[in-house]
Amino acid sequence: MLKQAKPKNARAKRAMEKREPQEKENTKTTLVVNGPKTSQILKLACADIISLKRPFIDKFSKKNDIHPFDDASSLEFFSLKNDTTLLLFTFHSKKRPHSLTLARTFSHKMLDMLELYINPTTFRTLQQFKNKKPSVGLKPLMSFHGTLFDDPNPSKYTLAKSLLLDLFRGQEAAEVDVSGLQYLISISAAEPSDATPAPELKLRFYLLRTKRSGQKLPRVEVEEMGPRLDCRLGRAQFPDADMLKAALKKPKGVEPRTKKNVDMDVMGDKVGKVHMGKQDFKDLQTRKMKGLKRARDGDVEEDVEAMGDEGETDGEGVPTPKKGKF
Amino acid sequence: MSDSEMNGGVALAEPSPTFTQLADEIDAGAMDVKSPPSLEVNVHKPTPFTFDLGNLLANDSNPLPSDVDENTLAATARDAAQALINQLLSTCEIKSTPDGVHLVLPAATTPLPREKPIPAEKPPTKWELFAKKKGIKDKRREGKTVYNEESGEWVPKWGYKGKNKDAENEWLVEVDAKKERETGEAHDQRSDGRKERKEKVRRNERKQRANERNSRKTG
Repeated sequence: MLKQAKPKNARAKRAMEKREPQEKENTKTTLVVNGPKTSQILKLACADIISLKRPFIDKFSKKNDIHPFDDASSLEFFSLKNDTTLLLFTFHSKKRPHSLTLARTFSHKMLDMLELYINPTTFRTLQQFKNKKPSVGLKPLMSFHGTLFDDPNPSKYTLAKSLLLDLFRGQEAAEVDVSGLQYLISISAAEPSDATPAPELKLRFYLLRTKRSGQKLPRVEVEEMGPRLDCRLGRAQFPDADMLKAALKKPKGVEPRTKKNVDMDVMGDKVGKVHMGKQDFKDLQTRKMKGLKRARDGDVEEDVEAMGDEGETDGEGVPTPKKGKF
Repeated sequence: MSDSEMNGGVALAEPSPTFTQLADEIDAGAMDVKSPPSLEVNVHKPTPFTFDLGNLLANDSNPLPSDVDENTLAATARDAAQALINQLLSTCEIKSTPDGVHLVLPAATTPLPREKPIPAEKPPTKWELFAKKKGIKDKRREGKTVYNEESGEWVPKWGYKGKNKDAENEWLVEVDAKKERETGEAHDQRSDGRKERKEKVRRNERKQRANERNSRKTG
């Protein structure tokens, strides 16, 4: 652990304050780290991921002699120094070919890790698909296909889902521009069978095209834009239960208070329900008349009260007394 | 739209073009206008999708065959995209702003770990504890300036040309005879005022440091 230095000037102080734990966190940044040996496939894959994840990604170009599943302290150190939480570690060997490790830290301690072995034969880069790529920094649509991702117990597939969602989801936004919904990341896993007990993860990136359908909603068509990644799942480190619990904690008072009695109807209009208290008819102001005026004497007042009641029940039926008749 | 409409009109009005020409035009979408395109926008799946609109995420728990090919993958992705966009456009509030049409997303529901722990709450200062005990509410701030009757201007309460230095700049001050008699030395009301003011500042700083020290001990 580094010794916490005291900031020497206001700029350093502001920078350090930014790195401190925040109630509402910034967008997670990613760091790409190369292992002792990498392959061309990994380089191309990382380049594509970087171009899709820009600007929330950083890259180290030198090789590092790191074996994260044996000792993750180096990655933790990089996470601390660069203030990143997601790490992509590339490593290639005969035993672990084209291995891309997704790692995630919490408070700069390793939370979970998962190895993906990229299939080199089916791998395609972003550039191999000749079409217009989406603009930088857009929030993608994401979809997970397959029963394996819905496992209630933690498995490699649910871990992969969590990590990939965290990696690709981009900025947390309360609002998105409709024209910014340009691409979809579709991650699928086939049903496990006896021949393939652990099916590959298939990552596909599609551009979205919307067409007029003649109805209110548009017809959506997809066009692959790359990269195309098929990965076998390798080693995994699951999160420590206590650490995960701390990491999943929600700060108090962040969730908005549910607005009671305010709804949206089918037309998209805001509809509110207002509860009225019981109406007090005693003070109801009926038609003002001289005859109904509050009298000074007690006995007269009673008479007037009776008149008033009668007037309420019968409504218009009672002939209104003319002026001066009383 | 208007372009293709014209095409459609021409194609129907003129019987002269050959069959193949007409067929081409129909293929190009000329017929689409006369009978509006009825492209399927609904997605039907055995297990319906679940959505996390805050993350623009669709979960599709329908099983995929083990020998899945690219076309199937594209088709499932298309269905997911269609369902997600349908869901977004039908359930989210749509806002028209000068820079485009915006969708208001709900909060994300998929639990994802935080980057760093929730910051610890700052321990209350001694004053805050005291104020709570006594039920003292924060004074409403009336602003940093105060009206100066003599000059008819708004002047700052403290700081440069602040009101709190008025007593130090008096051209004529009364001698506090009682105080002089007690201490036996000459007093200058102006310099006393300044001293007092400076002492208040130092006292506040001392208290701040003490609070900080206490918070470090406990927190």
